[in-house]
Amino acid sequence: MKWTPAASLALVPVAAVLAPAVAEAKIYVSVEDTQQRLFPGERLILNPVALTEAQRERMRELSSVREPFRGERVWKSEKGGWFIVDEVVGKHEMVKYALAINADGTIRGIEIMEYVESYGYEVGEASWRAQFVGRTAQDTLKLNKDIKNIAGATLSCKHLTDGVKRLMVMYDMVLKGSK
Amino acid sequence: MFRLTARAAALAAVFAACNAYAGEGTFGWIYTLDLQPKGTWEFEQRLQYNRGQAGGEYEFWQGRTELEYGVSENFQLAGYLNTSYTNAYRNYPATAEFPNGETGGWGVAYASDDRYSKWRVEGMSLEAIYRLTNPVIDPVGVGVYAEVTLGSVKDEFETRLLLQSNFIDDKLVLAANLVAAIEKIKFVDGETGPESMVDLLFGATYRFVPNWTAGMEARYHNDYYGYHYETHTQEAFFFGPNVHYATKEWWITGAWRFQPTGGKCWAPNDGECSDGRVWDSHSKNEFIVKFGMPL
Repeated sequence: MKWTPAASLALVPVAAVLAPAVAEAKIYVSVEDTQQRLFPGERLILNPVALTEAQRERMRELSSVREPFRGERVWKSEKGGWFIVDEVVGKHEMVKYALAINADGTIRGIEIMEYVESYGYEVGEASWRAQFVGRTAQDTLKLNKDIKNIAGATLSCKHLTDGVKRLMVMYDMVLKGSK
Repeated sequence: MFRLTARAAALAAVFAACNAYAGEGTFGWIYTLDLQPKGTWEFEQRLQYNRGQAGGEYEFWQGRTELEYGVSENFQLAGYLNTSYTNAYRNYPATAEFPNGETGGWGVAYASDDRYSKWRVEGMSLEAIYRLTNPVIDPVGVGVYAEVTLGSVKDEFETRLLLQSNFIDDKLVLAANLVAAIEKIKFVDGETGPESMVDLLFGATYRFVPNWTAGMEARYHNDYYGYHYETHTQEAFFFGPNVHYATKEWWITGAWRFQPTGGKCWAPNDGECSDGRVWDSHSKNEFIVKFGMPL
């Protein structure tokens, strides 16, 4: 049997005819800039945490996030707050974000640090992120219950919400009692 | 023989011609519930290649050029331009009329023992998908699908029940499509034929590193004569791997499925089988490449 690749070319309209207006949107924010956004003017000290398997299992159980947590990206502020960098699964890439926790255990804010996807950039909007502010480790932090979903960004909303939950579980188990 | 060949070929054409996809397709032939967000467009080009039948030469290329649009969060519309190219030479078993093998099968307009090659613009399709539940936030995602095809070789109405469950941070996707279709086959002599089919497609993909997924998918396929599934004419199985790569600007999927022995044909299409495999629009090996990009 002979292949006739030339024939197949006739079946493929030139995609360039439909010149894509792909949005060049992407989010890249450095750790230092994110720290300044969440703890302006405060000095942050790197404070890595080592988790036991039992602690990791508890975080998985309460958040459903399976992606491994990297404990070396934890900082403590001079006023007792915490700054944690984490990653969750995005549609194509990992979504990197930061969570800031006040000294009293309430969420100070979250920032999206890296987001490179076709859709779903609304998770970077302040109004969506503001839903987390003031929440504590005792909140369930469930999408569509505690946190509103964004149409067209459901996967990112769900994974970020679950990611924040697992960090709050980790805070409650490990950081809250640390000196 | 021509009538049998053409009718059975057209019957199976439904499946080669009308397997369609939604959103970003991580599978080769299975629909998922990944729909276009509201107000967004996507361009998609698909090229399927069916190769190898009972003997001789057989290759069938199917092109589908698609535009998708997200009407709402859970409703997507798409339009298709369908094209094909057929190249066949004595690909069917020998008969009394053609003792050296018959040139037939889907895309071949008349039976002979000569080479047959033809490129066609087959027609247009319009597709709608409605997502009832979302597998990202619900245990089981459910959707319904309908597609109308109008063309020079057939008119068709196809429906699907789409099922999907996600696991492990949505990196593992299990999906199944229950497919039912009726079609009016258009023969070269101007006559038409009523056909119907039911398929079950199922498979799994896993995102093993960022941007990349791979998996397996299978198809259990049944053809019938008549609009109401009156006479079971064919049964066949297919399975094979898929691989998918995606970035924010574009994505591409490749898949291959193989037809093992164990397929069956019944009258009036038993001439479409040999060696436990089903021919007409089917082949031993089927390949597909899909390319998509948000607009």
